[in-house]
Amino acid sequence: MNARAKLACLAVLLLLIPALSGAATRLPAPEKFSLKNGITVYYFKSAALPLVSFRMWIRGAGTANEPADLEGVANLTANQMMKGTAKMDADAIAEAVDFLGARLSIGASDEYASVNGESLKEHFPRLLEIAADCLTNPVFKDDELQKERKTRLDSLKAVKDNPGSAVRYYFAKAYYGSHPLGHLANGTEISLPKMTTADLKSFHQKYYRPERGVAAVVGDIEKQALLDLLNKTIGLWKPAGSAAPAAALPPLPKRAGKKLILIDKPDATQAYWILGAPGYPLGDAITPQAVVMNTLFGGRFTSWLSTELRIKRGLTYGASSSFQTWPAGGLFTASSYTKNDKIGEMLDLVFDLMNKAKTGFTAEEIESSRNYILGQFPPTLETNASKATAYVRLMFYNLGFDYYDKYLAGIQAVTGASAKDAAAKLIPQTDYVLVVVGKSAEIKKQLEKYGTWTERKITDPGF
Amino acid sequence: MRKKLFLFVPVILVCSAFVSAAFRKEDVKVHKLDNGLKVLFVEDHGIPNVALYTFFRVGSRNERPGLTGVSHFIEHMMFNGTQKFGPGEFDRKMEFAGGANNAFTSDDMTGYTDWFPAAALEPMIEMEADRMQSLLLDPKVLESERGVIASERRMSVENNNDAILAENVRATAIMAHPYHWDVIGWMSDILSWKREDVLAYYRTYYAPNNAVLILVGDFDGPKALDLIKKYYTGILPGLPPPAVATVEPPQMGPKDVLIRKEAQAPSFEMVFHAPNCTSPEFFPLSLLDLVLLNGQSSRLYKRLVREEQLALNVGGGTQESIDPLLFTISAKPRPGTDLAKLEAVILEELDKVKTQGITESERQKALNAIKSGFYFGLQSINGKATQLGQAEILYGSFENLFTQMDQYAAVTLAQVQEAAKKYFTENNRTVGKLIPQGGVK
Repeated sequence: MNARAKLACLAVLLLLIPALSGAATRLPAPEKFSLKNGITVYYFKSAALPLVSFRMWIRGAGTANEPADLEGVANLTANQMMKGTAKMDADAIAEAVDFLGARLSIGASDEYASVNGESLKEHFPRLLEIAADCLTNPVFKDDELQKERKTRLDSLKAVKDNPGSAVRYYFAKAYYGSHPLGHLANGTEISLPKMTTADLKSFHQKYYRPERGVAAVVGDIEKQALLDLLNKTIGLWKPAGSAAPAAALPPLPKRAGKKLILIDKPDATQAYWILGAPGYPLGDAITPQAVVMNTLFGGRFTSWLSTELRIKRGLTYGASSSFQTWPAGGLFTASSYTKNDKIGEMLDLVFDLMNKAKTGFTAEEIESSRNYILGQFPPTLETNASKATAYVRLMFYNLGFDYYDKYLAGIQAVTGASAKDAAAKLIPQTDYVLVVVGKSAEIKKQLEKYGTWTERKITDPGF
Repeated sequence: MRKKLFLFVPVILVCSAFVSAAFRKEDVKVHKLDNGLKVLFVEDHGIPNVALYTFFRVGSRNERPGLTGVSHFIEHMMFNGTQKFGPGEFDRKMEFAGGANNAFTSDDMTGYTDWFPAAALEPMIEMEADRMQSLLLDPKVLESERGVIASERRMSVENNNDAILAENVRATAIMAHPYHWDVIGWMSDILSWKREDVLAYYRTYYAPNNAVLILVGDFDGPKALDLIKKYYTGILPGLPPPAVATVEPPQMGPKDVLIRKEAQAPSFEMVFHAPNCTSPEFFPLSLLDLVLLNGQSSRLYKRLVREEQLALNVGGGTQESIDPLLFTISAKPRPGTDLAKLEAVILEELDKVKTQGITESERQKALNAIKSGFYFGLQSINGKATQLGQAEILYGSFENLFTQMDQYAAVTLAQVQEAAKKYFTENNRTVGKLIPQGGVK
């Protein structure tokens, strides 16, 4: 093509830009491929940069399906899948991925395992080959398991040196108890020593199944080239040939009354806390008003929590609240930290705000929250990886590709009354779990007024 | 839209293996106002949002004892009121318009990063221009924000053993240059900054001639420039800020830092003085950093984490900086690890590079990582604004972003080995160890 023709094409394209830019706000519709072995792949071409992103979720291969005594086996299985296959040992896999300048990881979430990969377009075929090899042919070597086990056990010890990290582990255990969502993905000092390569093989065999895979590829790759590549790689993965085991999470725990846990860390100069209570399930009709409400309560910089604790009083660097959702239920959490002698003052403020939330928000606050959510939405689907993740997530949870359109329309429709209802329903008043990690000698007295605390030392085994 | 443009600019690809087809130097429009403010524009209509980034050439490098941490403190105070917009109003107005922001301070720069829907362009430009010139520093708000910074220091340093060690090692390795202290500053300075000193510092460094403005996203270039002229033209330039005169003297022998503290796991860090990013030696050393530390196949990861199992992880490397800073190797030792052994193994690996160099395959691997890292960094309007701003501050011009890849590609194996020999010497080294109290020998 000569230079003049190029310029002509360019001019035509530039004219199209204003008309198209509005459409780019939401998720563009992908093409769908169904591979013979049952894997569904969504594809969207984006050639803005010479990159390709791959995402795949495998239903059931997450922590939710771990045997109760093998907490952490899902994540360890995922980890060990990249530590040796029939063709390559661990070093060869690391070298191959690093040589491409690519990123590849396999990890276990709660209801699924995920494979994330991205690379320059010229390296993508090789990257997908490596990913498919790890997915389908892992060998689970004992020496690799020993190494990783040791690393995980040692990392667990290091977590306790950092109260900001430790509080999350303690909270998960305190809130969920024996529910699978309370499983520590990296295992515990009790479960890790028990795990054998046979456990990993069995978990892999049982839960890694192509017919349970949902994948997406977004980036600078042509459709036919991608199809050929998929058929040569993950398309060759053989279906298990047996009925798939159940994969859904049991309902989340209910909460009646307060549960107060204090973890004594004598060298801490700040006290860290997380408060949690039941939220709402994924896809629930309350979603838009809950999001608008939480944005105001603790979801952004000018939120009530951040304004009262940080902006007005300088008690902390950060204070926030959020919701997490699953089909089986949801969780509300609020968290912050402050120096030891201020923890009582801080928690008083937090409980006051939780109480005040019942009375609702001003019309200006509601409008601001809606604008904020709508204005900050487009960047969440900007990159190849975020689009690919969105395709997989929406299909995995059966939410439909128009989910975000409906969600954003829902946000626009939230009123003061509906946000107030959401606060009344979802901001806990009396039924919650509160975990504090700090120096007991300096904070215990300040905490007594909230109720009876169960106190443990950070050096006690486990969380 | 941008994906189509990709098809029409292949000529440049032939000249350079690295230059991006979809994001080129020519896509960046530059304008300089009479008061010295440099403005970079990149129209990008992929999403209906704009990234407006303001970078000031000020960081902890410009501070002095008694005022350490003040660059970062002003970053916080920039959200706390001007004559026109009262305390907190910047964030309230911005969030009401659908925007969000953050800010960061480093050794060399302070950046204000705003992301908002296209319709909010004018109010955002108005508020950014306003806080460049008329910060209030209300005494009551100043005291409250002082508490926030103290909390940030407690969280990021005092309750984090690796950070305590890193701060001590930096302060030991760097004796004279202001890189001696961390960006957060010393706690006693945080608790005693005086308003008049903070104000004088703000007036010195917050001026249009000491800043660069970057707009990337969904706007019309000429209209955006008109808005910038409308709000920024009236801001008077400041005197050129004083140069940082202190030059770190050569280190004359190895230094050691030992910290004993209650902990479950030890911490370890080894540093060497390293060249600044505009030094010709920076690129070989930076490439070597990837060979030693990038990914699970890197030399130090393989040796320390996989083979000897002395550490849980290892990281660090060079840092792009205006003045010479450090090459850092920080490892998280396993609880109970013999730190002398850990140190010896690292030194052995560095010696291998000094005596045998790196392989061509390692060089190629590093270049692949650099190339993909470059594109990974350009996937969003925010990423583009960040890359442009950092290149502008650190290298003096955004154009460097588009030649950096070629500079890396030109690095030879011999240059890498020479850099290792020159910098990884005993006299140039500081080693820090945090030992759990009552624990490891």
